[in-house]
Amino acid sequence: MEKRVGVYICHCGSNIAGYLDVEKLTEYAQSLDSVVVARHYAFMCSDPGQDMIKDDIRELDLNRVLVCSCSPTLHLRTFREACQAAGLNPHLCEMATIREICSWVHSHDEQAATEKAMALVAAGVRRVLYRDPLETRFAPVNPNTLVVGGGIAGIQTALEIADSEHKVFLVEKEPSIGGRMAQLGKTFPYLEPAMDILAPRMKQMVASEYVELMTYSEVTELSGYIGNFKAIINKKARNVDAAKCDSCGACWEKCPVEVDSEFDHGLSKRKAIYRPFPEAVPNIPVIDHEHCNHFLSGDCTICQEACPVKAIDYEQEDEEIEVEAGAVIVATGYDTLDPTPITQYGYGKFDNVITSPEFERMASASGPTGGNIVLKDSSTPKSVAIIHCVGSRDENYRQYCSRVCCMYSLKYARFLKETLDADVYQMYIDMRCFGKGHEEFYKEASDAGVNFVRGKVAQVTDITQEDEEKGKLIVVGEDTLLGTLIRIPVDMIILSVAMQPRAETDKISRVFLLGCSADGFFLERHPKLDPVGTMLDGVFAVGCCQGPKDISDTVAQATGAAARAIELISKGRVEMEAATASVDEEVCSACGFCEAICAYNAIEVDPKKRLAVVNEALCKGCGACTVNCPSKALQLKNFGPKQLMDVIDEATKEYAGLAS
Amino acid sequence: MAKSATLAVKDGKIRSSINALLADLLSKQVVEAVLVPLAHPAGNNVVQSLVTNPDYLEQADVFAPVMPVNAGRIIQAMTRLTPANKKTAVVMRPCELRALVELVKLRQAQLDNLYLIGIDCPGAYSVSDYPKYAAEKTSDDFVKAAWNGKDDPMLRAGCQVCEYPVPLMTDLTIGSVGQDLKKQLLLLASTEKGEELLEGLGLTAEEDSQAAAQRHTAVDQLLNKIKETREKFFEQTREEIGGADKLATVFGPCIKCQNCRVACPVCYCRECFFVSPTFELEAEKYLGAAEKRGAMRMPTDTLLFHLTRMTHMAASCIGCGACEEACPNAIPLLKIFQLTGTNVQKLFDYIPGRSLEDELPPTAFKEDELEWIGEK
Repeated sequence: MEKRVGVYICHCGSNIAGYLDVEKLTEYAQSLDSVVVARHYAFMCSDPGQDMIKDDIRELDLNRVLVCSCSPTLHLRTFREACQAAGLNPHLCEMATIREICSWVHSHDEQAATEKAMALVAAGVRRVLYRDPLETRFAPVNPNTLVVGGGIAGIQTALEIADSEHKVFLVEKEPSIGGRMAQLGKTFPYLEPAMDILAPRMKQMVASEYVELMTYSEVTELSGYIGNFKAIINKKARNVDAAKCDSCGACWEKCPVEVDSEFDHGLSKRKAIYRPFPEAVPNIPVIDHEHCNHFLSGDCTICQEACPVKAIDYEQEDEEIEVEAGAVIVATGYDTLDPTPITQYGYGKFDNVITSPEFERMASASGPTGGNIVLKDSSTPKSVAIIHCVGSRDENYRQYCSRVCCMYSLKYARFLKETLDADVYQMYIDMRCFGKGHEEFYKEASDAGVNFVRGKVAQVTDITQEDEEKGKLIVVGEDTLLGTLIRIPVDMIILSVAMQPRAETDKISRVFLLGCSADGFFLERHPKLDPVGTMLDGVFAVGCCQGPKDISDTVAQATGAAARAIELISKGRVEMEAATASVDEEVCSACGFCEAICAYNAIEVDPKKRLAVVNEALCKGCGACTVNCPSKALQLKNFGPKQLMDVIDEATKEYAGLAS
Repeated sequence: MAKSATLAVKDGKIRSSINALLADLLSKQVVEAVLVPLAHPAGNNVVQSLVTNPDYLEQADVFAPVMPVNAGRIIQAMTRLTPANKKTAVVMRPCELRALVELVKLRQAQLDNLYLIGIDCPGAYSVSDYPKYAAEKTSDDFVKAAWNGKDDPMLRAGCQVCEYPVPLMTDLTIGSVGQDLKKQLLLLASTEKGEELLEGLGLTAEEDSQAAAQRHTAVDQLLNKIKETREKFFEQTREEIGGADKLATVFGPCIKCQNCRVACPVCYCRECFFVSPTFELEAEKYLGAAEKRGAMRMPTDTLLFHLTRMTHMAASCIGCGACEEACPNAIPLLKIFQLTGTNVQKLFDYIPGRSLEDELPPTAFKEDELEWIGEK
């Protein structure tokens, strides 16, 4: 069939037309082989611009379209849809970029810019001439969603999706859901106890017929692609039969082994058979094999004997469960920085230097001290200094701002003022109270008589200089507002420690093929326009695994991710990449280079057939395999070597030297 | 860990002692076949042969200084589709073993049922030079002279600068370095398969024998000496071919026959890209290109061919020199490939043919490699 090409040159206002001669370029395009029509216009992406293309396709019987304008990442989709609307296969439309790599970078030399644009247009025409029509393919979407992580982010996402009456699998590695929020005392800026808001949501998770909870479980493998993921989940043995257990507590009361409670950051003890906290969901204990005498030496059966309903089952083993889902939401949360290496703050050296997570547990009504703030000797502190930015905004540790420390530090100050009438010193660098109601909260703390000292603390010491410092910890630093050195003697020091990526981030990123930004948190697809998407279609990252944020922001993001999952489910199908790789079976040597290099696990070598096999559903058409294949047995549809060579020849025809 | 036994050299005859050992492998049914070079009755060549009747092993000549085909290629041809279904011992030179290891990693050969027997290799002559030597001397003379430390200018260029004249990965080594060759050879088992061979032959293997220690010391000395030789060689080669102009000159005689590609034991594509339809062009393309350039060299793309082959092979080049041997126009391919290959391999901390565990650089993904690129 005769190939009839239409070439459309965009002015992009003055972005292109201001720097190169579009008239001359159009004339040149018109002179090229197979070009039926060449036009230029102010904005090709506008409605009139698109209509121009559509009309020509119909009236001039065009079967190839080349739009010469911005980058295809911006508007290829726009122009392909326009072509499709006029009855042309969208893959027969291509773009030549004459803005980003031409007019913008050669704005000082119109003639050279015009000549380069001519080469790009000529090469573009060659490219579009070689294009074959491809079929847009769709894959069905599995209506289930997999949520990984049972903190507030995961819970919120799961409940939103369950509300739309779709199944959610929630996988949590700890024995209970609740995450970090369950460990908090009150929340800023309205001082509601965290558990009061969280507990009802946790209960809903059990009540909902659409949520399948898998606690004490971890996703070990994810395969598949958007709409059709398959996850392998390792469900650890609880050694307690959930169907029988009624959480009476007889087992953990009798258990003779005491271990530091992880949930209370070591401020209390738990047993070897335990539930992490009283409001745990599910409210079923687990046996910690590392400490349980039965698993260590085999002779203790105290809990089994104590259990009135015979729920203890030492024989229970880890299970491997396979789950299928259309979307995956990663909400694996954060860790807090261990301030021990920052030796000048004396954490680990002085008893009454504590971290913010430890303070949260003390301040929690159901916590180890019943909501009382106490010193190591059980007395009440009369003065407290709160050191901000411990590890945050610090090039030696974490460069970023953890975004919540200013606010929770204010919360501590108000709590200490209200409950103990203590002297409170906020040792801050900048107060960052940018959220709704946050500035007001700051004002209230200030009005309540909290002392604000601006400056970085140099040291915490117990070496006294004056009598009034005796028996106290002294905060030494500079008040940068007054420009003076200060020494503040206090009873207790709270370190507002940085939020940081989970220690297991590497493992998680490998399982879910997530990238990380420079700060170590999971990378979102676009910081502004797609803050919950990731580079892998159908996998979303929400909450603090994507970056530090407070509960409100986490919930907003989680709701957003739920909407994205529901969008996918309600659409019911996903568009697959059409320009996928294919294997020339006559040429393939089955060496496996392509299999090794494919980032999407889309290629496998079949050892029997001795051939590489491309899974078209997984292939993103990135082309990595095609360039890595030494025989060029792998080729991307519409990007074959001949097609590319011809384009390169055309683009460089003026410059060809005696290369070979 | 290595266990070893000694093989007595009967009447001072190395070749026949080894041949008797190989014949034992068959007659004692330790293996069912042996791949080994047999001397051609005419005496002018030695060819790899797959032997099942032990009588033929009288003609075996593992030290004969000639290597018409890198045996890695032979094993590839034999096991690419299916692994060996019978226990087969293969007697190979270190560079042949290394080629085989690369081919296995490239999934072009399979080691199941193969028993790798490596020799300490004193080198080889060109196929065309060999008859002159064979007319006057025996392989016993050759191996004795070689380990006496005499330089032999007649050796193939690749053998003169060979980096690893001793096997890197093998089941059993027939050790001749550091041994009193009038009396004995060393049989060094480095794997369970190797031990199985010794056991099958009824030889008692001992740990850390004196003979093994002697070989170890001698090998160290040998490798150190080679290091110096290679440094000089690289320096000289850089002067000869360094820079784009010299590279164009050195490839000047290429007629794009692609013999080098065919002879290379590791170049494994079933269909080379350079014989694919991508390079079948219409006359107008040739004439059009000629018009643009004023003149165009024919056949086209000779340099591109070599550079492409180099990109594909540099990391796995084991320096056997088969390419250079195959070139009808005496292009010093071994020099070029060894210079490039050694540097590329250093870059990726990769020694081709050392072990099956080392990942091939093109397939290994390391997050933190080559970070200096783009720094300037």
